[in-house]
Amino acid sequence: MLGVTATGRFLIMTVLAFMALSPVAALASDAYVGFVQKMGDQALTELTGKEISDSEREKRVRTMLRQNFDVKTIGQFVLGRHWRNATEKQRTEYLDLFEDMIVTTYAQRFEEYAGQQFKATGSQPASSKSKDRIVQSQVLQKDGPPVKVEWRVRDFGGKPKVIDVLIENVSMSVTQRADFDAVIQSGGGKIDALLDSLRKHRKTAKK
Amino acid sequence: MSKSLSCAFIRKFMMIGLCSFLVLGTAGCASAKRDFQTHAQINDPLEPFNRGVFAFNNVLDRFLIEPVARIYNAMFPDFFRDGVQNFMRNLRSPLIVGNNVLQGDFKGAGIATARFAINTTAGIGGLIDVAAAQGLEYQPEDFGQTLAVWGFGDGFYLVLPLLGPTTLRDGTGLVVDAFADPVRLYAFNRDEEWIYYTRGLVEGLDTRARLVRAVEDLRRNSLDYYATVRSAYAQKRRALIRDQNPDKPPMATEQYGEFDYYDSGWE
Repeated sequence: MLGVTATGRFLIMTVLAFMALSPVAALASDAYVGFVQKMGDQALTELTGKEISDSEREKRVRTMLRQNFDVKTIGQFVLGRHWRNATEKQRTEYLDLFEDMIVTTYAQRFEEYAGQQFKATGSQPASSKSKDRIVQSQVLQKDGPPVKVEWRVRDFGGKPKVIDVLIENVSMSVTQRADFDAVIQSGGGKIDALLDSLRKHRKTAKK
Repeated sequence: MSKSLSCAFIRKFMMIGLCSFLVLGTAGCASAKRDFQTHAQINDPLEPFNRGVFAFNNVLDRFLIEPVARIYNAMFPDFFRDGVQNFMRNLRSPLIVGNNVLQGDFKGAGIATARFAINTTAGIGGLIDVAAAQGLEYQPEDFGQTLAVWGFGDGFYLVLPLLGPTTLRDGTGLVVDAFADPVRLYAFNRDEEWIYYTRGLVEGLDTRARLVRAVEDLRRNSLDYYATVRSAYAQKRRALIRDQNPDKPPMATEQYGEFDYYDSGWE
């Protein structure tokens, strides 16, 4: 390194060291749209057929959910302030029940989604402070107007994961959170009341 | 409903609405506090009463309204039902223009005026939404939204018999809109009130029929259906007040301005 001063060399080495340390370069904004489009296409091809058995559909939904969503982040947001008061055991069971609830809910929904089309149209930062991005998309139905769906995507060490879905401006996480909070409050502020209710829901939701 | 009865009802409602203005005013000022509780939820001090009305509405819905909505969906083809919706929306145009003006949204007022002109003529009395194909999308406005733009807060959550979820502010808006509604003025002046009530019934049926799948889904997948609907209502209204449409930034960014619901919602 001809003509480079000691300080200059030190600076270069520091930069190189940092580059080596940072795990992966941040995702390009296009990557978010591509990620959502791929996920939507995969869901519509693999999950919608009428010939798929219920248990098979649920299995596929669970696999796709774990691949593309960060269930722990979502579950924690949905539980809100109650997360702090929960024991480790309660948290584990809650996340388990919560995942099951999502799986049965969406397995049932996808059964009706055959013949629809999915278009991810663009993305933008979730807010001025957040690194998350919101990917806009449209679900084109066979009958009726297109449905506006937005995906809040977070970069988990170079892997994009969905942490919220907004359907026609209604956030699934915020709505679910209000739902769970009401159950806990009517149960005297106890998280066990929610776990109980989720256990019952799991039994009745299975077809 | 006879004329005198309905007038008494409306007058009483109006009084409650006017009295509540003072309360709403203070609530509006206090809403500068930006946190998750105030933005994603509606204050619900009347919850026991509201839950009662909600349960009543639900029974009525399951045994009467939903079955009728399903029959309506099954009996009439898409183009017919779309025609009904377009016609009903077109009748709302004067109210939408008026509210846009009151909100200072002159672009919105222009779009609504153009829509009314185009759809009433080229759209055969409003049956076909020709304007939407020209990029002039339908954007509902009501006096509840206008009050919100003026800085009034929700007041509190209110479930009305038959009409369903609203708030003190939006319910007040409903009454004001009803008073200013040209269709009502026309019908009542000609002593043909049935026109007004039939319009109300058809509008209600159209709305309910479009929500069949969504309501079924919500009922099946919520633990506390009442709380779920209250939250969804709050979010929908927030979005309408911010004039959400596909050309504008997404809900999660725009809904609360600089406020980020997700990053602030952990406590």
